[in-house]
Amino acid sequence: MNARARSFWREEIALVALLLAFFAGIVCFALPLPFDARLFPLVIGGAGILLTLAIAAVELRRPLADVPLPPADDPAATVGWPRFLTALLCAPAFGLLFWLFGFVVASLAAMLAMPVLMDYPHRRQIVVVAVVTVVVLTVLCPYLLDVSLPRGVVGDWLVDKLFPDT
Amino acid sequence: MLDNLLLGLAAALHLKQFFFMTLGTVIGLWVGVLPGLGAPVAMAILIPFTFSMDPLSALLMLASISVGGAFGGSVTSILLNIPGEASSAATSYDGYPMAQQGNAKVAMGLSAGASMVAGIIGVLILMFASAPVAKASLAFSPAEYFALAILGLTVVSVAALGSTVKGLAMGALGIAISLIGVDSILGTERYTFGSVYLLDGVSFVPVMVGLFAITELIDMVIAGGTIAKAGKLDGSLWEGFWGTFKYPFVLIQSTAVGAFLGMIPGIGATAANFLAYGIAMRSSKHPELFGKGAPEGVIAPEASNNSCIPTSLIPALTLGIPGGVTSAILLVAVTLQGLRPGPMLFTSNPELVWGFFMGLLIGAVMATLLYLVMIPWFALITVVRIELMAPMLLIITLFGAYANDRNMMDVFVAIFFGLFGYFARRHGYPLISLIIGLILGKLAEGSFAQALMISDHDYSVFVLRPLSAAIFALCVILIVWPGVKKRLGMGGAEVT
Repeated sequence: MNARARSFWREEIALVALLLAFFAGIVCFALPLPFDARLFPLVIGGAGILLTLAIAAVELRRPLADVPLPPADDPAATVGWPRFLTALLCAPAFGLLFWLFGFVVASLAAMLAMPVLMDYPHRRQIVVVAVVTVVVLTVLCPYLLDVSLPRGVVGDWLVDKLFPDT
Repeated sequence: MLDNLLLGLAAALHLKQFFFMTLGTVIGLWVGVLPGLGAPVAMAILIPFTFSMDPLSALLMLASISVGGAFGGSVTSILLNIPGEASSAATSYDGYPMAQQGNAKVAMGLSAGASMVAGIIGVLILMFASAPVAKASLAFSPAEYFALAILGLTVVSVAALGSTVKGLAMGALGIAISLIGVDSILGTERYTFGSVYLLDGVSFVPVMVGLFAITELIDMVIAGGTIAKAGKLDGSLWEGFWGTFKYPFVLIQSTAVGAFLGMIPGIGATAANFLAYGIAMRSSKHPELFGKGAPEGVIAPEASNNSCIPTSLIPALTLGIPGGVTSAILLVAVTLQGLRPGPMLFTSNPELVWGFFMGLLIGAVMATLLYLVMIPWFALITVVRIELMAPMLLIITLFGAYANDRNMMDVFVAIFFGLFGYFARRHGYPLISLIIGLILGKLAEGSFAQALMISDHDYSVFVLRPLSAAIFALCVILIVWPGVKKRLGMGGAEVT
């Protein structure tokens, strides 16, 4: 088994373990509940545990030579780790910025940073598209969705400090 | 009947109604295209604006949003493999491969043709079968509802990617997630761990955004380039539109599946979408082509979800029981107009009811025309560089998750499910089983508990009632049939 197959197999086992832990939690935390409230969770949790064990049995009993490789068309197999990390971390990073600094800062950061991290060469185009997109979304979203744009934890703190009367 | 039809036609053929139907359809197309937003959100936002409108205009505008949303939802399913609506998710199975092959326009033409025919048939069923069919669905006991929920999950798990066991495990995971929050039977808090956010349970929208949109975004960022690998859009829109009629059996079969499931409260267009896809694949002479750009794979889900929308109004209008989210919002709008849904609505407000039906009929054609006009612009998305499009999609999808409830926790839930979904999909776990489990979870638990209460906790109720027993037998057959087929050396195709 080569390193790529081993890593893929570990991912599979980690997923099975995660599912098993979740279903075990569903069963364990249902036990103290009243009968009518715990019956269905026990049925579903029990079924989940059995299904997960069936998947685990298949994976663990499989000969090492038969461990499946990632799909041939898996794009992750052909790119380097910077692109892979960009793909995995762009949403969490945006979520963090969105929470801390609000919509405008997070959107601008995503629009400016992501194309650069993805090796897009036309910097001027990136800046123009980023500014136009953020301005359009900032103007349209509150009206079209009836949602005021969040300023984030830091933004709210700054507004409280700088404009305490508002 | 003829008098009612003419009365309805006269009411619907007003310029004002055309304006509101067009407005509703355009809004529906727009929100349908945006993953995570969807027609219910737009309908809910616009309900306050309908207070000052006359009842027919209000209902037609809201219903047009729903129809437009179903059309629009297919656009991103085909072009980006990101369903704009959960009810268009199965469309991506074959629509996206067609787009990758440079046939995005053909796929969208197929979607338009199937949607229009199914929408018209659905409205005709709504018109002529309202009362008797609603009465028939009343005969379903909780045991049958539970069996139907399990059937929906089984069909999806069997038809979806990867192994059936993994599909069922994901379905169980979806149902288990739906258990979080206040239990609907006793009002007991379950798995909330003191969190106020979890009291209402895990919201469907951020989970869908995470599993479909974020997961796809991760793949897009890794791959780079353009969606259409050929870099150009071959094929013709009209070739696709007329191509729909080359598959009359799939079209009628899927329309019937959607129309039937639409009438049953709680099942909804998403389950119909996948069930129709599964049935079309199993009844096809070339099941091996499904998942690789088969036209039937686009026609089946689109026909089913569009026939489901009008028929879901049957129990809503005749009995006051909503068949899904959109019909529930329409019911709220009816009530806000000072009207009472139920059989009396047909006798006390025939002009409104039949005007609404005729408006839906006209709206199905109008939505098709608007969709066809806008398709060439939508199709351009596939040749835009992913490096520029990915951050835009990231912002819009996560803002959609936030806007759903104006809650930052929804953003983090979407991100969590996006990352989980990415790794689960890599290992052949069908994400759609999780979504279906989440949708049907409440229905399954409610009907499971009701069936046991009615039978005094006699568990045999699920197998002693003939219809329920037949549905469960079908579930077992669906699960074991691929294995039996393999043993008998009959081969068979797997969707990949």
